Amino acid sequence: MKIYTTRLTGAAWILVAFFWATGNLLWAAMPQQPIRGTVTDTQQNPIPGVSIRLLNSNTGTQTDLEGAFNLNATPSDTLVISYLGFKTLTLPVGNQTKFTIALQQDVTALGEVTINAGYYNTTRREQTGSIARVTAEEIERQPVTNPLAALQGRMPGVFITQNTGVPGSGFQIQIRGQNSLRTDGNQPLYIIDGVPFSSEDIGDASTNVGIVGGISPLNTIDPASIASIVVLKDADATAIYGSRGANGVVLITTKKGSAGDTRFQVSYRYGVAQVTSHFDLLNTQQYLEVRREAFANDGITDYPANAYDVNGTWDENRYTDWQKVFIGGSAAYTDVDASVSGGSEQTRFRLGGNYHRETTVYPGDFAYQKLGIQSHVGHTGLDGKLSLDLSNSFSYQRNSLPGTSLLSNILRLAPNAPKLYTEEGDLNWENSTWTNPLSQFEKTYSSDTYNLITNLKISYQILPGLLVSSSFGYTDIRFNDELAQPHTQYDPALGYDSSRSMITKSQNFRKSWIAEPQLNYTKQIKDFKLDVLAGTTLQNQISNALQYAGLGFSNNNLISNLGSANAVAIGNDTHTQYKYSALYGRINLAFQDRYYLNLTGRRDGSSRFGPGKQFSNFGAVGAAWVFSAEEALTESEILSFGKLRGSYGSTGNDQIGDYQYLDTYTLTGSTYGGVSVLEPSRLFNPDFSWETTRKLELALETGFFDDRLLFTAAWYRNRSSNQLVGIPLPGTTGFSSVQANLNATVENRGWEFNLTAIPLNGKKLYWETNLNLSISRNELLEFPDLEGSTYANQYMIGEPLNIRKTYQYEGIDTETGLFQFTDFNEDGNLTAQDDRESIKDLNPVFFGGIQNSLRYKNFSLDFLVQVVKQDNYRGMYLTGYPGSLGSQTPEVLDRWQQPGDETSYQKYTSGRDIDVVLSYLRYNQSDAMITDASYIRLKNISLSYSLPQEILPGITGEFFLQGQNLLTITSYEGFDPESIYISSLPPLQVFTTGVRFNF
Amino acid sequence: MKTHYLKFASFGASKILSLVALSLVVFTASCESFLEVDLPASQLTATAVYEDEQTATAALLGVYADMRAAGILSNLYYQMSLYGDDLDYYGSASSAEEQFYTNSLIPSHPTVSSWWNASYSQIYAANAVLEGLETSDFNEAFTNQLEGEALLVRGLVHFYLSALYGDVPYVRTANYQQNTTVGKIPAAKVLEETLVDLSRAASLLPWEYTAGDRTRPNKGVALALLARIALYAGEWQQALDAATLIINRSDLYVWQNDLNQVFLKESESTLWQWYPAFSNRNTAEASVLSFTTAPPPRVALTADLLSSFDTGDARLSNWINPVSNASDTFYHAYKYKTRSNTPVAVEYSIVMRLAEVYLIRSEAYARLDQLELAATDLNTVRSRAALADVAYNGKEELLEQILIERRHELFTEAGHRFFDLKRTNRLDAVLSLLKSGWKATDELLPLPESELLINPNLMPQNLGYQSGN
Repeated sequence: MKIYTTRLTGAAWILVAFFWATGNLLWAAMPQQPIRGTVTDTQQNPIPGVSIRLLNSNTGTQTDLEGAFNLNATPSDTLVISYLGFKTLTLPVGNQTKFTIALQQDVTALGEVTINAGYYNTTRREQTGSIARVTAEEIERQPVTNPLAALQGRMPGVFITQNTGVPGSGFQIQIRGQNSLRTDGNQPLYIIDGVPFSSEDIGDASTNVGIVGGISPLNTIDPASIASIVVLKDADATAIYGSRGANGVVLITTKKGSAGDTRFQVSYRYGVAQVTSHFDLLNTQQYLEVRREAFANDGITDYPANAYDVNGTWDENRYTDWQKVFIGGSAAYTDVDASVSGGSEQTRFRLGGNYHRETTVYPGDFAYQKLGIQSHVGHTGLDGKLSLDLSNSFSYQRNSLPGTSLLSNILRLAPNAPKLYTEEGDLNWENSTWTNPLSQFEKTYSSDTYNLITNLKISYQILPGLLVSSSFGYTDIRFNDELAQPHTQYDPALGYDSSRSMITKSQNFRKSWIAEPQLNYTKQIKDFKLDVLAGTTLQNQISNALQYAGLGFSNNNLISNLGSANAVAIGNDTHTQYKYSALYGRINLAFQDRYYLNLTGRRDGSSRFGPGKQFSNFGAVGAAWVFSAEEALTESEILSFGKLRGSYGSTGNDQIGDYQYLDTYTLTGSTYGGVSVLEPSRLFNPDFSWETTRKLELALETGFFDDRLLFTAAWYRNRSSNQLVGIPLPGTTGFSSVQANLNATVENRGWEFNLTAIPLNGKKLYWETNLNLSISRNELLEFPDLEGSTYANQYMIGEPLNIRKTYQYEGIDTETGLFQFTDFNEDGNLTAQDDRESIKDLNPVFFGGIQNSLRYKNFSLDFLVQVVKQDNYRGMYLTGYPGSLGSQTPEVLDRWQQPGDETSYQKYTSGRDIDVVLSYLRYNQSDAMITDASYIRLKNISLSYSLPQEILPGITGEFFLQGQNLLTITSYEGFDPESIYISSLPPLQVFTTGVRFNF
Repeated sequence: MKTHYLKFASFGASKILSLVALSLVVFTASCESFLEVDLPASQLTATAVYEDEQTATAALLGVYADMRAAGILSNLYYQMSLYGDDLDYYGSASSAEEQFYTNSLIPSHPTVSSWWNASYSQIYAANAVLEGLETSDFNEAFTNQLEGEALLVRGLVHFYLSALYGDVPYVRTANYQQNTTVGKIPAAKVLEETLVDLSRAASLLPWEYTAGDRTRPNKGVALALLARIALYAGEWQQALDAATLIINRSDLYVWQNDLNQVFLKESESTLWQWYPAFSNRNTAEASVLSFTTAPPPRVALTADLLSSFDTGDARLSNWINPVSNASDTFYHAYKYKTRSNTPVAVEYSIVMRLAEVYLIRSEAYARLDQLELAATDLNTVRSRAALADVAYNGKEELLEQILIERRHELFTEAGHRFFDLKRTNRLDAVLSLLKSGWKATDELLPLPESELLINPNLMPQNLGYQSGN
């Protein structure tokens, strides 16, 4: 069976080689003639650097400083003359050999900029689908380390939040809402230079404890090396990705070399970062008052032995701002980027390198470092038929962090807790009366990530209009980490020694290859233009993970050396494989450059499903009508562009992990009496299959006043059915869930608006503004027998998935001093299952961004204001009940003390009064705990000054100041309204300065 | 030139296109076989597991590895000693452990749900072994061994679930559809079912230990657990018979007269102990309960326990260790003595030992009015502690002495003290004097809130944990 498989895989490769060879024979027969010409603007000024290309071929050249060009072409060729900022012109060559071309200015370049739609390219004018894009210029202005950070607030329909401000942590991205009931099944598909990039968190949760939300592999990509990031949203754009397109597709294209003189670019950036805000917490006097009153309420006059904060053991006048101690520091950012690029029309290259270093806001010596090298070589044959592109990107990251997440610790400390160090400089345990939080810093975490992405693209024009090409990609990500836990993290009173010191290490790699041969045929017949694409995909991904631990060392200095451990245990040794194959195609038909029809489809097979469930078909139809090209409107002074487009189709989702359909036992790594033990892997269900999302979209795109004002409005409706989920199960089954399809349907619908305007377009003063707004609604449409299912307490028909069923808060009983809630079923009991009937939606109601670019002479100012309207848990959700040990927010001060008191907070307890504790817990699960967490944030600002040309001839230089999250307007009281993990380090405020030179 | 080109081209194009079409067809046909993946190296199919004795054994040992790490059995010594009157708590205020100590557990307490879930996960694994054995064709001795052990685990875990949570479901199948909506049965019924499983286990298991270090149960363990549970069920004769069978095997179980050797892993008075996760790791009991300086960082023995010992009790000096600072002296349990890890572990955590079997039989005799025999067994335990033979006046007094002896022999082990008070209906009388937070309804833990939400058949919540508005 295996041999058969390999042979056929090989056959696909041979096929591609064959196309090549055949094509090479044809090449000799082509008649060509030299042509030349000049290109100017409408004022007869020559334009250098204009691209002159032959349609449907890779042949091309650029104009020189005088605007002149030379090229070989056949009479049947068509010239495509394009330059950024000017309207693209197409001219048939015919018998003409000399051309004088005048290009017209085009302020917004609707039809000029090629947009990478994955398997094919399109333009904003011709696109039938919903595609959003961010370019290198916008990315460069932001001091960010993760490419996703660069998209925040810039794209309608794309909601991105940063998990934590810990270096190396990831981002949550939702493209048009949550489609899957599984919260971990809503990741988009990432494609880097044509190679799918697995975004699944890497590493073992037992070691990377310090990073909430996992380690994002996308961090391995240097934002400065990115030429553009494109997000595909609707069915028309994503159906060609079939089973992996349901949650949208993120296409990252790295910078490529281009013909011309060898050019160098060097940039350097340095800056500082700190947390955006602090929690408002009680001071020692207020805190102690709360504690004492709590004990008094419980009738305890003799404070317990372990109530060290109030029983006189600790200094009652001491005060420490623990937030300042633990997250009050400044992190330093350093960035160096350099690249060189150039080449001839035939062969182009680019080499780039970057280094990034970032420390943390924690006390102590922790840092995140990243080193990257990228290279690209592109070659085009003399006749323009053969083209080769090879891109390589390698990166190395080293991250050292404290071995624990600190924020929750901070809130568990009393403000009068003891000092951290003794006079001698040792950790202070204050006679075993507390767990010194710095003891957590004895644990250290470090990780090394190596990532290689290689992609080779070969294409050959066999016949005019017929292009055969193939992309071969390989990715290899290696991730090693270790968590060292020396015994010094424990109170010395426990009498432990280094025989208890432990180290946990993990070694992971994930490698994947992909081959995607495809054929592309274009043909113009009178007013019709046909573009056909057919291809196949073969992909194989192998992941290995090995986790092991060493226990007991003669000395803590040896802790990294497993050889000196007294005992070693292999915790986990897994090898998994994922295979994927597909056929895909596209037929695009254009009539009179006015009517467009786009059909896309894909047949997918995935090894993640059991026998009989592996294959599925997906497809979409998209259409567009450029009505501004209709004769009645071509002469319009106001309307310069108008297009209606729509699409409908299906995509799928196979993000469920590998082997879920098998009935197996797993070697867990535990041993018992020297035998490696087996444990049941999962509850067995072989019959699950694809989750399907049907997407519908309608959009209107318009341009006014020569496209100085562009406005797009889109409406979409996505319905995901056959929900593939781990259905929650009660503990009595022995497991927490079973993988199965649920006959539930989730709908995401919404409006997206985008407005781009250039109010000022002078030579000295230029102002461009871009506004995007997304209004969306997520709704659970169907769920047969929801009430009888294990989801009964989580979801409601007609409500979003991201709801919280909460108790309805009714104020405080002035007699008992307890919070009151509505007893919905009026049975006299408040139970979580029957009385949490107040529904709160935590999805954003709307979000958007306003971006402005201003240029005055050599200065330019860019800023992005992000706006999000949403609800979230109040900051005080994180604190314990008032009266317990640990910080409290001032909100608890207005409390009930005696019958008749009308207050906003209930009475205190030290924990002995269960009724008070239970009602505190209900309050935490009530609608009173969810508050408006909307914010307006100056997400990014960049001010730069370009050196005038005269100062350094041949060199362009730029000085800049950049900031991230500099200003936030919000009524939210907590760490940060953006942070979804409200208990972790919020996104940081970053301020950097830097220089960039080109020569 | 031109015609030549066109001719060539059209020939080439048609040929190529047909080739491409053909290759796409072939490719589609091959897709299915391309998608075949190897089984991950760390997984075995369930069928394969029960075709081989070694892998079937590994599946059973997986249950022990899990019980050793999580769930009720391996934690009783700590949390339930805090919940009762063995330990005082000095650790961080407002911690999960403190809520055990102050008897202020709530339905969403993390330990309450983790014990529940881990226990049923262990029961699932035991049921999966039993079901795997049904379809396998191992020899009878091997099948009996595995079946006996799996039944023992199933019975034992259910017993402690019921001892802590009261009415609970008794799960006898690995079928999740059935277990998703399973309902509770009365605690008394659980006890009966437990005895059925353990009796069957005792009849299946041989006396010979399969593991030399007594880390896997044999017939003796099944009988001892049967005796322990029979005592709770008031089945005195059953407890007596089972205990006698064990005590009679003096070739296998040797009374250890040196208090300091009882907890060593080689001790022949041990019936069952956990093999450690790391070969060099000594017991959690030693590292959690002991300390070297005062005040204690976590826990210390209660003054009430200490003062209840006779001054001449050898256990006071051998199993308890004082630690002082300038003003106070605190005491920690010192049964397990090795806190550090050693190149090879010297002590394993013990699940069942011979002294308890003697105490069970002593009590069973007493309950059945065979007071002299009861006293003899009790004196075996007392004499090791350098105590004189028991003096008593009548059955009730003797039973009282036995209970006290159990307290002194079994403190900080498996929550014995708490369960003894509970089965003798003294919880309220004893604990309400010692613990300000004690309420009568604290005899049971709350049912985990998350489970009630997901399976309404587990309703109602235990008394004292439901509260009105």
